[in-house]
Amino acid sequence: MKGRADIHAFVQGLLDASGDDAPLVDSDSLLFSGRLQSIDAVEIVVFLEENFGIDFAQVGFDKERIDSVDAICALIESVAKSS
Amino acid sequence: MEPLTYNLGDTGPNKETQQANRRAAVEDALRSHPGVREAAVALDGDHLVAFVVADSEFVDNVLGRAAAGSTIVSKWRKIFDLSQLSKQAATASVGFNTMGWDSSYTRSAIPDDEMHEWVENTVGDILRLKPVSLCEIGCGTGMLVMRIAPHCERYVAVDQSSAVLKRLKEQLGTAPDVAGRVEIVESQAAQLDRFGENTFDTLVLSSVVQFFPNVGYLSKVLENAIKMVRPGGHIYVGDVRSLPLLPAFATSVELFQAAEELSASELRDRIHRRIEREPELALSPAYFLALPRGIPKVSRVDIRPLRGRADNEMTRFRYEAILHIGHDNAPVFDGEFVDWIERKWTVEDLRSLLRQKSKQAFGIRGILNARLEKDLAAMAILDGADAGLTAGTIRQKLEHDVYRGVHPQALFDLENENLGYRVFLSWTACRNDGSYDAFFLPKESLQGMALPAIHWPEPDSSAFLHHANAPGQGRICKELTDQLMAHCTQNLPPEFVPREIMLVDSLENAS
Repeated sequence: MKGRADIHAFVQGLLDASGDDAPLVDSDSLLFSGRLQSIDAVEIVVFLEENFGIDFAQVGFDKERIDSVDAICALIESVAKSS
Repeated sequence: MEPLTYNLGDTGPNKETQQANRRAAVEDALRSHPGVREAAVALDGDHLVAFVVADSEFVDNVLGRAAAGSTIVSKWRKIFDLSQLSKQAATASVGFNTMGWDSSYTRSAIPDDEMHEWVENTVGDILRLKPVSLCEIGCGTGMLVMRIAPHCERYVAVDQSSAVLKRLKEQLGTAPDVAGRVEIVESQAAQLDRFGENTFDTLVLSSVVQFFPNVGYLSKVLENAIKMVRPGGHIYVGDVRSLPLLPAFATSVELFQAAEELSASELRDRIHRRIEREPELALSPAYFLALPRGIPKVSRVDIRPLRGRADNEMTRFRYEAILHIGHDNAPVFDGEFVDWIERKWTVEDLRSLLRQKSKQAFGIRGILNARLEKDLAAMAILDGADAGLTAGTIRQKLEHDVYRGVHPQALFDLENENLGYRVFLSWTACRNDGSYDAFFLPKESLQGMALPAIHWPEPDSSAFLHHANAPGQGRICKELTDQLMAHCTQNLPPEFVPREIMLVDSLENAS
């Protein structure tokens, strides 16, 4: 099972690819801050679907829920608890 | 591959001949590369600069643009699917589901009143085309469907997102009188081949082409769309992101978002990065203006700035292109155009002028656009910025500037003042400062025509060099120019190798 470190590394990879070399703190806003673009949200969604089995059609989707590493971890935890 | 051999030209009769030989040699070398469809070389001082139109098949299949484009299409579909899974989408009012319409400035939803104005103006512009049988590609959850279908006999609504179409079906369920006229089709824009030639009188692509992966994809969609529309009909391409205005847009957004203390040089870097990373397709009006030359079924093209009082990214940086399909026998209005810069007329001046004109048609060229004046001033400040300037001081300077531009909506409003004139605005000239041309036509000379043919000022030839940006294709473009530079180095004497190779969309008018 992947964990916080893997999520952090994945997000760091997206930031690297977009030329953002500022340090990544887990509470940093990713989408609302503009560090990542809307189209990058798809990468996060697919990562969560494939690695954590999250079905967004079931749990709903709001950008806030994937806007930081912390938010993503909270989402995974809430889905795990409810299943 | 054997290195090509060239006459170096230094034994030629004169310098001009030598230079012509040099250019011809480089053009030949470039054309021998499979990634090149056309090439032209110019002299910049003592250096050569090459302009290259890439070979689409090579870029698609060898460099992987087709696969990258397909990924981009899938990503956008997923985004639109996701946008309908939010709580707000489920509770949106019928015909006004604005999920995904986020401001680039605030990254929050564009205010409802601005969206209402945008949608009503878009509907008005499409209804002026008098649609009876209409196909909308990229219909979304039906903001246009719910408003336009009641005026049509047949409305075919096409979208690639199943979640979006599910929402549209729910909305149509609440409006059975509209639903009876609407057919829903789930399809990608480029795969819509189920309709025969001349099926519709109107085809709409509103706020959708920016999500196409590249200009080649758009051309494929339009080629099919043009076949589907019968002579006398129209294709409305709306909410098109303007390529000439992309730098002004990037400046505007980055300055808005910048912290007070951000330095001018960092701000310039951010603007540059935003343009480089732009994920959406931006198009020059020149792309549409060139269509009649390649596709005779397109008789003429109108390029218009949007109506609207609200100054937002749609009204300021986007335009609509209307393609007239089939033979066009409308008379061409060919009045005199006066340069605005020589008179600097205000709206009040123009109102007086219209009262005095005694029903003559006339035009004004290059009207300074009040919607963009501040952004242009910001660009000018940044161009010459010294090290001490920050985003905060630039914003202060802009507050103290005096602005003289004319708001496009203020000119449209003159139509409602019993002055006897209709007002037409155009961005046909493709200027990168957003200035526009206006044509004032006495109402009685129109004889009921909604879209008269007007002989607008032409764009400069340079407008035709670049039709579009290449969202997400920076790597592919760089790979091609690297390959071409290596090819030149391998096959040409060192003094013939161009200093720069620029990828362009067309060499037509580029000389």
